[in-house]
Amino acid sequence: MHIALLKVTTAFYLVGALLYLYFIVTLKERGAKLGRMFLLIGVVLHAVGFVARYVAAGYTPITNLFESLSFFALAIVAVFLVTELRYNLRVLGAFIAPLGFVFSVFSAFQSGEVARLAPALNSYWLPIHVMLLFVGNAVFAIAFGAGIMYLLQEKEVKRKRLGAIFKRLPSLDVLDEINYKCLTVGFPLLTLGIITGSIWAEYAWGSYWSWDPKETWSLITWLLYAALLHGRLTVGWRGRKAAILAIVGFCAVLFTFLGVNLLLPGLHTYSSLSG
Amino acid sequence: MADDKRTQSLMDKVWNFFTSLKLAITVLIILAVSSIFGTIIEQNQPMEKYQQVYTDASVRIMDALNLFDMYHSWWFLLLLVLFTVNLSCCTIDRLPRVVKIVRNPKTTLDEGLEKSLGLVDRWKKKGALDAWVEKYAEAMGKEIGKPRVTRNSDIVHLYAESGVVSRFGVYVTHLSIVIIFIGAIVGNVFGYKGYANIPEGGSVRQIPTRGGTRPVDLDFEVRCNKFSLTFYNDKFGNPTQQPKEYASDLSIIENGREVLRKKIVVNDPLQYKGIWFYQSSYGPTGAATAQVAVVDPAGGPVTGLALAAGQKTALPGYGTITGVDYQPNFQGSGPALLVVLEKPGQPPAQVWLPQGKPDVDRKRNDRYFFSFGGLTQGFFTGLQVAKDPGVNVVWVGCTLMVIGIIIAFFMSHQRLWIRLAPSADGRVEIVLAGAASRNRLAFEKKFEKIQDDFKAVSA
Repeated sequence: MHIALLKVTTAFYLVGALLYLYFIVTLKERGAKLGRMFLLIGVVLHAVGFVARYVAAGYTPITNLFESLSFFALAIVAVFLVTELRYNLRVLGAFIAPLGFVFSVFSAFQSGEVARLAPALNSYWLPIHVMLLFVGNAVFAIAFGAGIMYLLQEKEVKRKRLGAIFKRLPSLDVLDEINYKCLTVGFPLLTLGIITGSIWAEYAWGSYWSWDPKETWSLITWLLYAALLHGRLTVGWRGRKAAILAIVGFCAVLFTFLGVNLLLPGLHTYSSLSG
Repeated sequence: MADDKRTQSLMDKVWNFFTSLKLAITVLIILAVSSIFGTIIEQNQPMEKYQQVYTDASVRIMDALNLFDMYHSWWFLLLLVLFTVNLSCCTIDRLPRVVKIVRNPKTTLDEGLEKSLGLVDRWKKKGALDAWVEKYAEAMGKEIGKPRVTRNSDIVHLYAESGVVSRFGVYVTHLSIVIIFIGAIVGNVFGYKGYANIPEGGSVRQIPTRGGTRPVDLDFEVRCNKFSLTFYNDKFGNPTQQPKEYASDLSIIENGREVLRKKIVVNDPLQYKGIWFYQSSYGPTGAATAQVAVVDPAGGPVTGLALAAGQKTALPGYGTITGVDYQPNFQGSGPALLVVLEKPGQPPAQVWLPQGKPDVDRKRNDRYFFSFGGLTQGFFTGLQVAKDPGVNVVWVGCTLMVIGIIIAFFMSHQRLWIRLAPSADGRVEIVLAGAASRNRLAFEKKFEKIQDDFKAVSA
């Protein structure tokens, strides 16, 4: 049941993403409205699927690549819907909805069978640690989307050819504001995620920090966002620089999540591919 | 004098260097980028392994740069020291100023301040000034906090603030990082990490440590009473090879007496005298033996055998029996043992003995029949052992960091001023101004609401 639900969710995300793309091309309000509806239904189905899988598996389903990609997609779309509600930024959907769809579809390529939980993952820290990080990552994904929009818009403004793109994208100020907002939500979540991970590691391995690649990469991500934060607050890294760092930061987020498991050796890779 | 000035300016330069935020950002980025090396080059592996992977020249260069244990190298530690010094200097430099602002807030809204604030509004009201002072003091109390009242001849200033603690969030966060570092240093200097492999029934008093040359002597004994291993079942209820849980029943023995006993599993360690024992791994001690019962259908006594793999065991008056193969899931019906039976003058016979069907061999109508009672495997439990007297300091640091970040990110120092002065036309002129240390957009909305509410206040 839950696997079918997650597949249906992917279809909803796809239609939602296409509708938002349709909106950004034609600027027809209906596209954005319908797109939001599809994403909303998708998120609800996704959440139901997540709970169904939790019941079927007997543990929070965020333990392998299928489950964590799927949860990441859920978090991205959910955080996007909240952002859109607050800032009325429909255009962002054309950048974020496809991202949610891509993660969802990649998850669909993995075996969705409920796996057996490795003893090391059998801890109540698992949901706390992983969910905090994925919600934080989703917030950084929004900043990433806003960063790309910023660079596009800035190019447009600099060329003084306020044409098709300019009309569609929010003002540079709004984009920069989103960048900062995401940082102030994402950074605390990332910090909490790393700290809960340390506590868990201390209880599981007897070492709160062992410089394993996953830990190190999460620290690298943290340091980059900390640099951006200080740059913003004090030396005036706004606008372009902030947008670029938000993009670089999200690349580090993705590498921490996927690259480390796929390319580097370490403790976190014990159960084929875990969050 | 001139000399003095030069040294002064040099000192200033050094101080300015260490208190600069550019340094902070540079160090953050250098730490981030350099950390990547240690994730690409596997850390703390034996030299031979590196020599297999890299060319001799690159091994020499990487070794010289301590890249094989880079997070403990002098240059990485130096970066961390620089980071900490920078952090501390920034705090020493800025904290007094913040304390001053907090202790002596600007309670009067003079012209200069008014011009520097973005959120300002003015209006006039009819009536007595003192009555309006009282009204607005009450209104401010509801919005932000009880205002301080300053009277300058006939001008009255009201000042109220909230969330002043948010000014300290960043320093709490910085302090927390220093505390975490202190905890880490204490742990590294006074603690150790080791491991112990204890066979079932065995015990240890000494712990070999990682990176240490001599094992640590415990002043007690750790005994593994029992090691248990359970496997997941597949869809049909047959056991798979995938471990579900492994557990060690441990006892702490001090002065010949058992003082503590606990069954530990992964994620649930045992602690005694500040030393933690974590379930980490397991392994077999020696080879497994197969338990086989020899039954006489005529009703003679049942003998039990423990067969080691491939080892011929003699059965007097019968021949020999050898266990040659074991399958955890034979023909989909659970574990089974393959034995070879040899009788003098007869060709050897191969018989599968399924564990679930103890009577199946009876059909052979032999002198004896055999039933397989399962494999017996002795195990050792693999324990991680750690003593870290700094870990609680680290947790204090982490808690402070969470508090500091919440204060810094989610609280805002909001200030509100009102100046009431008699105007030339006999009315009271009211100037309202506000400022927030963060989340200005949200404060702007709040300010607009305050504007509307305050203008609507009637005598």
